[in-house]
Formats: sequence, structure tokens, C-alpha cells
Amino acid sequence: MRGKKGQVTIFVITALVIVILAIIFYLMYPQIKSTLGLESKNPNQFIQDCMEEQIREARDKVSAQGGSIDPEHYFLYKDEKLKYLCYTEEYYQMCIVQEPLLKGRIEDEIKKEISEGVRACFDDLESTFKGKGYDVNLREGPFEVELLPRRIVAKFNTSLTLTKDSSEEYDSFSVVVNDNLYELVSIATSIISSETRFGDSESTVYMNYYHDLKVEKLKQSDGTTVYILTNRDTKNKFQFASRSLAWPPGFE
Amino acid sequence: MKKRKTVTIFAILVLVLTVIASLSLVASEVSYCCEKTNDGAWCQNAPQESCDSGFRTNPTSCQATSYCRLGTCVDSQEGTCMENTPQQVCEASNGVWEEGSANEIPRCQLGCCLIGDQAAFVTQTRCKRLSSLYALEIDFRTDMQNEMQCIASASSGVMGACVYEKEFETTCTLTSQKECNEVSSENMETEFHEGFLCSDETLGTDCAPTEETTCVEGEDVVRFVDSCGNLANVYDATKVNNKVYWSKIIDESESCGYGDSNADDAKCGNCDYLLGSTCKAYKRDEDRVRPNYGDNICRDLACEYEGQDYKHGETWCADSEGINKNLPGSRYFRLMCYNGEVQIEPCSDYRQEICIQDEVNGFKAGACRVNMWQDCYSQDNIQDCTNSDRRDCKWQPGLITGPPSEETVTVQSDLNPREGQSSFPAPTESTETAGAFQAPMTGAFLGGVLSGTGVGDTVAGVENELEKYGSCTPKYAPGFDFWQEGNADQICSIATQECIVTYEEKLIGGKKKCKEDGGNCWCLDPGIMATFIAGCNTLGDCGLKTNYLGQMGRGQSEVTVEEGEDN
Repeated sequence: MRGKKGQVTIFVITALVIVILAIIFYLMYPQIKSTLGLESKNPNQFIQDCMEEQIREARDKVSAQGGSIDPEHYFLYKDEKLKYLCYTEEYYQMCIVQEPLLKGRIEDEIKKEISEGVRACFDDLESTFKGKGYDVNLREGPFEVELLPRRIVAKFNTSLTLTKDSSEEYDSFSVVVNDNLYELVSIATSIISSETRFGDSESTVYMNYYHDLKVEKLKQSDGTTVYILTNRDTKNKFQFASRSLAWPPGFE
Repeated sequence: MKKRKTVTIFAILVLVLTVIASLSLVASEVSYCCEKTNDGAWCQNAPQESCDSGFRTNPTSCQATSYCRLGTCVDSQEGTCMENTPQQVCEASNGVWEEGSANEIPRCQLGCCLIGDQAAFVTQTRCKRLSSLYALEIDFRTDMQNEMQCIASASSGVMGACVYEKEFETTCTLTSQKECNEVSSENMETEFHEGFLCSDETLGTDCAPTEETTCVEGEDVVRFVDSCGNLANVYDATKVNNKVYWSKIIDESESCGYGDSNADDAKCGNCDYLLGSTCKAYKRDEDRVRPNYGDNICRDLACEYEGQDYKHGETWCADSEGINKNLPGSRYFRLMCYNGEVQIEPCSDYRQEICIQDEVNGFKAGACRVNMWQDCYSQDNIQDCTNSDRRDCKWQPGLITGPPSEETVTVQSDLNPREGQSSFPAPTESTETAGAFQAPMTGAFLGGVLSGTGVGDTVAGVENELEKYGSCTPKYAPGFDFWQEGNADQICSIATQECIVTYEEKLIGGKKKCKEDGGNCWCLDPGIMATFIAGCNTLGDCGLKTNYLGQMGRGQSEVTVEEGEDN
């Protein structure tokens, strides 16, 4: 009886240890992978892993501020600087478009924001492969960021030659981040167009058409309208401000 | 008497026009075109001191300048056209600027872009761009001139079972005929069976019916999937083992529960977003029932708000605090139910927008629209005043608003101002209701109108006489920024009235008494004073009011009594 109880205890302890080890392995997997040298040798994957988070961070920053990293003309909403994409200082007037090519502007802003990180990633790539005994020839070139349907793509015209026993050549690199910023920016552009033509926009039209979209239209006391576009599934946001056909208190 | 009325109306008109004209004069004085303002805004008509000195400034409207002319900015890569863009802003963004509006520019003309099974009403350049983005062939049609017609023309093409051999087995993919033909090659021959599902037994493929379901991006319905992972017909628990149902493609309109939302239906997956449901993975805490088969269900998108149920897509006006009486600080809000969530959309502040609501076949629809109160004061007849196409005003018989009378009479009075104030009743609930004035129309008073007519000797006489007059006031009293240097005082002064009461002193001492003959004693009547106050209140945030939070305003009383000099 006593022996049986002891056996059960040992089983329970062993099970617990296995579970704990499994949890630790799961949580520490990236570090373990790195320590044991299990990381992918593919330089493309290296750049993807290195840049993906940076692009996401830049995207979040840009999206929260109307497409600009450091907006000059903005409306302060809940401590966030929302860039005016369409604005008029006057009452009773339609707004003047401030950012006619929004998509291009956002691509430039993300590019600017990640440029330092790009250099650091390629430096990392070089040192990592040198550490693995490769002869590394890296020639950094320009890069572009493009917003595309359901994704953000960064293309690096950087060439890399790795030589050890044999030689491997990479002409360029590209990083793809699954994201729906393109869709949100397209809707923002449509809203700006409506604001400048009619002085207002109808949020339900967009929500009826795009089933995963939430449009929040929040009119402020000074005539500014804050727009928050959210993808209901991914919770990704794009927010901006507009001031069009504002009505004064009393007459003006 | 008629002459006096004409004079009064004329005086009101002159006052209102003077206010508007003086304000617009002030506005026009400061009109400079700033290429950039100190705040960083491009091309604004603003006071000179707001202009950034590093950029161009001209004492004219921006439209008259070369640098801030408005036109259409064309994104030649994306194929989009943005109107109302200054030339300089467009070119700085690498756009191509063209004069005129989008419909005057040939390359901004819209057409129907049929792309895959979708359609978009866009420019030809945009259509080509979409083709490259989605790697799909396009058909740009200029014969369709409106978006509805374009969207309706989108079709998914002929779908069916594409049967082929793979690793010595006959397998199948549900696809379009075009795609099926494309994958066909010498090594792999394909056979297309229009309108058939891959699970059809006669095809002899390894794809079989299952009890699994899935949600598809871009669709609302729950679909069965076969053992090869191909989509099948709409989920219908009663047909899970029905060979015919697993044989041919059946349209949603011929599937279970068509025309209904089928929300929280355990047996039917024919969801409809516009009717209030969409396909979602079943969640115990969100869905009322578990689907009989599979893990997906038509999620109910309706909402509950303050104990009342609302359908998905319904919009309605909020019963916000103080809005029934248009109290200072109150504001109209529109509420909307989307995806099971109630969203709040404020209308413009200061009640410059109101919320309107209607119900069609039990479906509520609300909207914020402009409060057209601005020219109420200048309407002098009921017909113009109540023309709801042009303005939101109401005619108030018995109420006369206008400038203070110039016919002043110096009075002797021993009336204690405090006593006087205490005798003026504060506006009651009914008299404050600016949206719908409910106070008894006892009449108001405009200095000179009644003086010397003889009818003003008694309250009843004044009331009877005032019934002949009326004023046009806002139906929804607007808000003013009266705590700032605005023009609230000027607007409210339209309702400012002055009544001079004459008192008589008795020969042998005693209290002074209001002079009965022509002394305007009726002015001291609390009912008439209440009407004055109501008339003032109905103009907007005028007078001493309780705000939307129930707090009484501070400052001077609405009725002040001043003693004149002895004659």
C-alpha cells in the first residue's frame, strides 16, 4: 500500500516536472533556438524576423496620428496628435485637402521611421553570418515601403554574397507584414473626399459595405471631426482629423 | 397701430442685419491668404498674424492666388483624383494638379471596373492598378454611369468542380471554369463540371461530405466543407446527409431560411449581414445556441441599449440630458447599432446640428442635420417663419422681440429692486421648453408698441392686444459660447425689453403707487414677466437658465429693476 502511494507520488511529480519543462521551453523557445544555433540560416528569414516588428511599430505610430510620425498641424485627442487631413480655418466653408496622396505619404513616413532599424538589421545579419564562419559581402542599397491590399511590403535593394564551402547570392530582400492599413487608408481617402465635397461623411455607408469595419465619427466643439477607423477582427486602427463646414456658436 | 407694427418689424430687421453685417465685416477685414499658417495648415484664409512669415501671404482670397488655387490632384500611379486641393500641396506630394473639378478632367472619369467576381466604380487607371494589385483580369466598362448599376453587374462567373488526377487518385477543387482550364496541362488534365460540387458521387473523386463548416472571407454565410477542404453549400443541419445537397451548387436564395437573418439558428447558416447576422466561430458566452454541426454559427448582431432591443444597422436619436429643453450645454447625439455594439455619434456642438429620426417598416433611421435657426429673427410672417424646407423656426403668437424702445419715460419709483426681482418668477419647466414652447401665450412687450394706446392700462388689455403680434424664433434654441468673447450678447439682446413704469406719490405721504392711467403697471405682472423671460430663453442660450446638468446659471437676474429720477 505504502509502495503504491509512493509510486503515485513519483508519477505526479514526474508529470509536474514535464509540464513545467514544457512551459519553460515554450516560453523561452526563441532564446533556446538562438543559443542552440537552430535559427534559420536563410538571410531572407533573418531580415523578415528582424524588420517585421519594426514595421508594425512604425505602422501603429503612423496610424494613430493620421499618417504622420510627427504631425505639424493636428488636433489633440486623448493625448494623441491627430493630423488634419482636410482643414479649413473658416466657418461655413468646405475643407482644403492637406494630404491628397495619403497612401504615398504613409509609405514615406514608415520608410523614414524604419530606416535606422534597416541599417541595424543588415549589420546584425552581417555579423551573425560572419560569426558562423561565412565570408560576407553586403552591399546596401535603397529600399521602398509599399502599402498593398492586406499587407505592407518593404523591398530592400541590398545584395548579399555568403561564401563558405560554396557561394550563395541574394540580389534583394523583401519583408511582408500582413496588415490591412491599405484598406483603412483607402477608406480614409474616401472620407476626406466626402468631407471636402459635402462638408461631412456618412459613417453607416462604410460600415454597411465593409462588414469588418468600424467607423467612429466624433464631432468636437471647435468644428473638428475626429475619425477612428478600426478593423473589428484585427483591431488595427487608423485615426485622423478633419475640419469642414464648421458651424460657429451663434453667428460669425 | 399698424404703422407702429411696421416700424417695429423694420427695427428688428435692421438690428439683425446690422449684427450679421457687422460680424461679416469684421470677418472680411481679416481675410488674408496664407500659403501656410503658423499652425501648419496649408492655404487658409486667415488673419495676417496667423500666416507663417516664411511663406507667401496676400490680402486676398486663396482662390485668387496663384499658389493656393484649388483644383484636382491626380495620383497617376493609384488612379485616384482628389478635389479641392491647392496646386502647391498637390505637386509637393508628387501628384499631378489639374484645374477644375474631377468630373471635368478626362482621366478622372469613372467607369465600372469588373475585377474577378467584384466590381468597383473607379477611374480606368485605378482599374488597371487594381488588376495589378490583385493579379486579376479586368474589364473596364464606360457604358455604366452609376455605382449601383456597376456593383449589380458583378458576377462570380461559372463555378463548378474541377476534377483531376493527383498521386494516382482522382481529386477535385471547387473553382471557376477559367481557373480550371488554366491549371490544365499535358501532365495534368482537368475536367470541369459546371454547377457541381466536388462531393458529388458521380464524379468519383476522393472528396466526401463532412459535418464540418467554415466562414469565408468576404461572405456572410456558414458553409459546409468537404473532406478535401472545398467549400460546399450553405450549412443546413437537415441536409448534412442529403446526397443531392452535396451534389450541386445551390444558390443562397434557394437555401434554408433565405430572407431571414437566421441569427443564433443551430440548424441554418444562411446569415445575412444587412438583416443582422454574420458567420462567426461559435462562442459560448456570445451565442445563445450551439450549432448542431460544425463550429460556426450566424452570430446575432443586434444590440440592447437601456433595456430596449435594436436591430443591427439601426440608428436613432439619443435622449441626452437637457436636450428636450435645449438647455445650455445640451447636445444632440445619434446612436447606432452595428455588430452587436452601440456606437455614439455626437452631432455638432452648440446644437448647430439636431438629430432627426424616422421609422420605416419598424426599422429606425436617425441622422444629424444642420439646425437652420440663423434667419428666424428676420422672418416677419408665419408662412416664411414656418417654412420647414428653409429654416427651423417657430412662430410664437403674442411674443414680440426687438430692440429696446427709444420712447423712454423717466419714472419716479420707490420700488425696491430686490422686491421687484423677487416678484419675477423664474422660468417654469413649461416656459423653458424652447423646442416646443408650451407656456400660455400671455404676450410680450416691445417698448413703444403699446405705450399710449390705452390698452396697456390693464394686464388683460395688454394680453388681448399682444395676441395680435408674434415673433419668429428658433425651433431648437441654439447654444452660444456666452462665456467667451462671442456674439451671444448681441443675439440675446434682440429679446431685451425695457418697460418704464410710472409711479405716483400721494399728496399726504404714504407708499408710492403705480400710475393707473398710462403707467405701464401691467409690466409688473409676474405672468407677463415670465413671458418676457420665455421669449428671451427661446432665442438660444439667453437669459438665466439651468444648464443640462441641472445647475442654475450665475450672474444677473433676467429682470432688473432700476429706479429712475423724480420728475
